[in-house]
Amino acid sequence: MILFEHVGKRYGGRFEALANIDFRVQRGEMVFLTGHSGAGKSSLLRLIMLLERPTRGRVLVAGHDIGRLHPSQVPFYRRQIGVVFQDHQLLVDRSIFHNVALPLEIRGVEPREAARRVRAALDKVGLLHREKALPIELSGGEQQRVGIARAVVNKPSLLLADEPTGNLDPQLSADIMALFEDFNRIGTTVMIASHDLALIARLRHRVLRLREGRLIADEEAA
Amino acid sequence: MSRQPPARPRGARSQRTRSTSRFRGWLRHHRAMSLDSARRLLQAPLASLLTMLAIAIALVLPAALWLALDSARLLDAELDESATLTVYLSHGIDEAQAGRIDEAVDAQEGVARTQLISSAEGMAEFQQALGLNDALGRLEHNPLPASIVVVPVDPAPKAVRHLAGELETLSGVDEVRLDLAWLERLRHLAELGSRLALALGVLFGLGVLLVVGNTIRLAVESRRQEIEVVMLIGATHAFVRRPFLYSGAWYGLGGGLLACGLLGLGNQWLATPVSALAASYGATFSLPRLGPEGSATLLLCSTLLGWLGAWIAVSRHLAEVRPR
Ligand SMILES: Nc1ncnc2c1ncn2[C@@H]1O[C@H](COP(=O)(O)OP(=O)(O)O)[C@@H](O)[C@H]1O
Ligand SMILES: [Mg+2]
Repeated sequence: MILFEHVGKRYGGRFEALANIDFRVQRGEMVFLTGHSGAGKSSLLRLIMLLERPTRGRVLVAGHDIGRLHPSQVPFYRRQIGVVFQDHQLLVDRSIFHNVALPLEIRGVEPREAARRVRAALDKVGLLHREKALPIELSGGEQQRVGIARAVVNKPSLLLADEPTGNLDPQLSADIMALFEDFNRIGTTVMIASHDLALIARLRHRVLRLREGRLIADEEAA
Repeated sequence: MSRQPPARPRGARSQRTRSTSRFRGWLRHHRAMSLDSARRLLQAPLASLLTMLAIAIALVLPAALWLALDSARLLDAELDESATLTVYLSHGIDEAQAGRIDEAVDAQEGVARTQLISSAEGMAEFQQALGLNDALGRLEHNPLPASIVVVPVDPAPKAVRHLAGELETLSGVDEVRLDLAWLERLRHLAELGSRLALALGVLFGLGVLLVVGNTIRLAVESRRQEIEVVMLIGATHAFVRRPFLYSGAWYGLGGGLLACGLLGLGNQWLATPVSALAASYGATFSLPRLGPEGSATLLLCSTLLGWLGAWIAVSRHLAEVRPR
């Protein structure tokens, strides 16, 4: 599903955020990406989302060299990836329902079909009863679940999450991770960047460890 | 990574339904965004009105000048027809001689038609025009010579001047008068005016672009997070631009409507003194109106300008957001 070949990323021509990264993630796998702050986790995810281009090497997703995508194809590529952000990036002036509906609106999905899918996604994250609320009326954990609902409403084959539990207490974090495991169980490839080592250790999935931009360990699922 | 749907026996048909549903989605988004942007404009009525007023003011001046020129062009066409020469005959020429000279003039190349005015007719006309019946009535001799009014085939100043030279050589002709100088001056003025209108139109059109561009730039700035998020989840540039293009078009349309209103007001404001002025010259002249066609043109131009200004503003922003 994801293949990194000798990938390097420099910012501003000098600073090396990632160096010689090689790994492969199979379709349907669930992988954690870990390392200290500044290790390059976000940079790696941004390469997959095509928010950055590698300065060396190639990134292949589903067999396609994404570096060769024409800029006009990039939006359509992104539609196939669900992304969850640490700060959830919800639109403050839209209800929960409309936040989750956004990816469908972008795709021009017919409103009744969209409403059905939005409710299904909200139901999955346990927030169906809050669909009319504004993001600000929700707790941090609930907002993150809305972010997850928005990421999965399109039924993406790849789900990326950057520190999805960064600001949450251990119990909420465990709940969020359980949600990701649910999506993985139905076949979605999941890649989560996190520095919550204790939580990751408990979950027993494959772990990619980064340190100062290098891949220092690739620990298979226990 | 594309999630190909399982092959279906009726592939062509499903392709078609998919593209029609995509088209419907596109239409739906257009409708939603045109309404949404109108709603946003109405949510800040004063700010929107000020923007539209700025656009209207920028449009009024070139539009007014253009109108003035349009009526000048009409006047010019009339003047072309009145580009006549007057051939004054020598004193002491009797009516029979005058008739022969008239025939000779009529036969001249470049003469469309002629009209002989005897000295008596000339006097009558003169008296009537000046309302001086009594004063001149007491004159013993008619001091006016007979004259021939000549309508040339070609009203161009050069041709008329040449014809005048030819006619002057005929015997019995005292003088040929032509009033070309002021006609030429008027034409130069009209040319100057039309160039001025064009320059002003371009300049003020740029002004409209700047006004709308700046307003839209602020709107984009205030919705920056939204734009970044929708681009992250796969919005195309067209999708991101759409609401702003509609805002720009609405601003332009509103500005155009206000400009039409201002022009109408200006017309009413000036109509009385202008017709009084014209009457004092014995002419009837009414200020030109924009009319339905002119209004439609103005509205179309202003809407397009608003749209274009928004396009430039959003595109500049999108270039910044695009990941390298
Ligand atoms: N846009 C950028 N420009 C310059 N340096 C950056 C940029 N993004 C990240 N970096 C640097 O790259 C390194 C890796 O950052 P990041 O990928 O965010 O790490 P992590 O997510 O693991 O904390 C950091 O030292 C960071 O300062
Ligand atoms: Mg990070």
